[in-house]
Amino acid sequence: MSGSFDKKDLQRIEQKRKDWEEGTLKKSLDRFGATENPNEFFTPLDVSEFDFLEKVGFPGEYPFTAGIYPCQVPGSGPVTGGYHIGGGGGLVRAGRYLGYGTAEDTRDYYQSEIVRGRTGGPNIAFDLPSQIGLDSDDPLAEGEVGKAGVAFDTLADFETIYEPFQGENNLDSIASNWTINAPVNVVLAAYIALAEKRGISPARLRGTLQNDIIKEYVARGTYIYPPKHSLRVTRDVIAYCTEHLPLLNPISISGYHMREAGATSVQALAFTLANATAYVQLGVDAGLDVDSFINRFTFNTLSGSMEVLKEICARRASRRMWAKIIRDKFGSKNPRNWILREAGGFLTGAWTSTSQRPLNNLTRAVIGGVAGALAGYIPSVEPPYDEPLGLGWSIEAQQLAEDAARIIHYESKLGEVTDPLAGSYYIEATTDLIEAEAWELINKIKEMGGSLGAIEKGFMQLAVAQSAYEYQKKLETGEETVVGVNSFTGEQEIEVLPNRMVPYPYDATKRAEAEKKQVARLAKIREQRDNGQVNKILAQLRETAGDEKANLIPLTIEAVKAYATIGEICGTLKEVFGEYSEYGKI
Amino acid sequence: MSNKGQIKVLIAKPGLDGHDRGAKVLTMGLREAGMEVIYTGLRQTPEMIAQAALEEQPDVVALSCLSGAHQSLFPRVVDELKKRGMDNVLVIGGGIIPGEDIPSLQEHGVSSVFGPGSSIKEIAEYIRGKVAKKA
Repeated sequence: MSGSFDKKDLQRIEQKRKDWEEGTLKKSLDRFGATENPNEFFTPLDVSEFDFLEKVGFPGEYPFTAGIYPCQVPGSGPVTGGYHIGGGGGLVRAGRYLGYGTAEDTRDYYQSEIVRGRTGGPNIAFDLPSQIGLDSDDPLAEGEVGKAGVAFDTLADFETIYEPFQGENNLDSIASNWTINAPVNVVLAAYIALAEKRGISPARLRGTLQNDIIKEYVARGTYIYPPKHSLRVTRDVIAYCTEHLPLLNPISISGYHMREAGATSVQALAFTLANATAYVQLGVDAGLDVDSFINRFTFNTLSGSMEVLKEICARRASRRMWAKIIRDKFGSKNPRNWILREAGGFLTGAWTSTSQRPLNNLTRAVIGGVAGALAGYIPSVEPPYDEPLGLGWSIEAQQLAEDAARIIHYESKLGEVTDPLAGSYYIEATTDLIEAEAWELINKIKEMGGSLGAIEKGFMQLAVAQSAYEYQKKLETGEETVVGVNSFTGEQEIEVLPNRMVPYPYDATKRAEAEKKQVARLAKIREQRDNGQVNKILAQLRETAGDEKANLIPLTIEAVKAYATIGEICGTLKEVFGEYSEYGKI
Repeated sequence: MSNKGQIKVLIAKPGLDGHDRGAKVLTMGLREAGMEVIYTGLRQTPEMIAQAALEEQPDVVALSCLSGAHQSLFPRVVDELKKRGMDNVLVIGGGIIPGEDIPSLQEHGVSSVFGPGSSIKEIAEYIRGKVAKKA
């Protein structure tokens, strides 16, 4: 391919570069006593093979490098980025990840959010016992109930949590988000059961299940069963939703958690796409036509780092790579299904925010918001600056984050141009480089038998831990700088912390009492339900689970309707599937 | 302390929290700093951690928790250690621990808490200082 530059021009540029290096540049370096240029400068020589239509193309068209949509309007479209910069005063954002205490505590908080102007469905944070399929009265759950999210034991908890969502906010009018992975089948079943109780057809339900179990073995750790069996649960959910809940996103694949655990940009990109490929394969192996379900696959965020120029390139590469995988590997016929639907933004991640001089995190997140706009997303400024100070965010920090996104979008008008960095020598060369490195890693994973083989061998786990350690060493030697943490500290530096005018949203007394209350609530349910019926359904579930081909969702719905607990359902499946013990320990 | 004066550290994740970047980084870092380090992996009960400590006889038990359950879990580990006669082992903590929780943890036998941004060097120096005093 000839590329955008002809040979003669390139030769002239090459000569000129040599002259510059030996003349202008050298003189300057000599003056500073340097031997090497601390800066990089890119020219057409770095993208001599650049072919616009092949590498970039038009927004909303293959290869989607410039963006997955032809145009973007704030607050529209299935991608959730930018929902919080629409009209209205105060905090209008839907979808903020929250939940704490008992079902009643979270219900009350959602109610207060609605009063504050919140729209749409909840984005439910579950506590850790729920995330790993343990009941609140399990001895292992002691001290953890209602801590990192809301406690969920039975359908009764969903009935309570969703009380504020009635009338014009009923289940057929809102979209929920459930950060749930290993026991995803139970949560899906509970939502279906709740809808049926309210007389709403499951076919009308909208929402997104995280259901990305592979990354849990690499980071975050909320697994229950061995990977192979857990992927069967993933498959059941994908297959069931495709048939019965066509408006629901059955999966949200994420690079974010691996990034938080230490993965590099290339590792997060490669692992996320490899995992996503494994999930698509599950659907195909279940006999589904790829175009019948891939349109409902969503991505959480790839996350990022403070090196935002590289992160912008990684996002451009990710869109191009996913389109290629879906079109070429899976033979999808519909170009609208080749897009990587990602909750946009989050280009600096959360791991970059610091508990030292925390207001600096707003600066960091704003850089991420600007970069997100330049990478083709409606800007989002995340996380709120005070996130590293503890669980739950202050309302003031949320307001600042949302205003920052609005300022980027409306005052700076950064959204006016789609993919404004396209054609930059640096951006195109780096996008190509990141893509090549990610393909190399994906091929390595393929040789291990795909993502399943890679986690069974402990490959991804170890790679991420090593990257985290490499980064820590750079922090300690000063090769990497974090302001207020490993540099620019000392007596002359001052801690800047604004006063908090709005009370902390998570009530401390309620948090302290949650465990006792939730355990009592659960005991009452165990007493009131038909235990014979529960045991009968669980026995059926145990038997059916042995048949690898069977889809377990219908029986799980029956179990949930009989008020079987999350611990009982997951415990029954554990008897058949076994329990995971960590691979690749260090 | 083992022969050759090598300090032995047991790094543990009590409770259900799966965020172990810090635990793993510290495992690798303290090893490189010349200590013998055993990492328990995730989802350890206080009893399991104390039992591992009884078997391994470390100089230090380092606990990491980012889920907010530290106030229940850390003191329980200390109690279980005491039950097994390990009153002398140095217990330190890390993770997302709000500043206001630290005094009560210290009263309950957690010698020091290292939050986000702590360096391996600083933790290693703290351990060396404390273990040397006991020896």
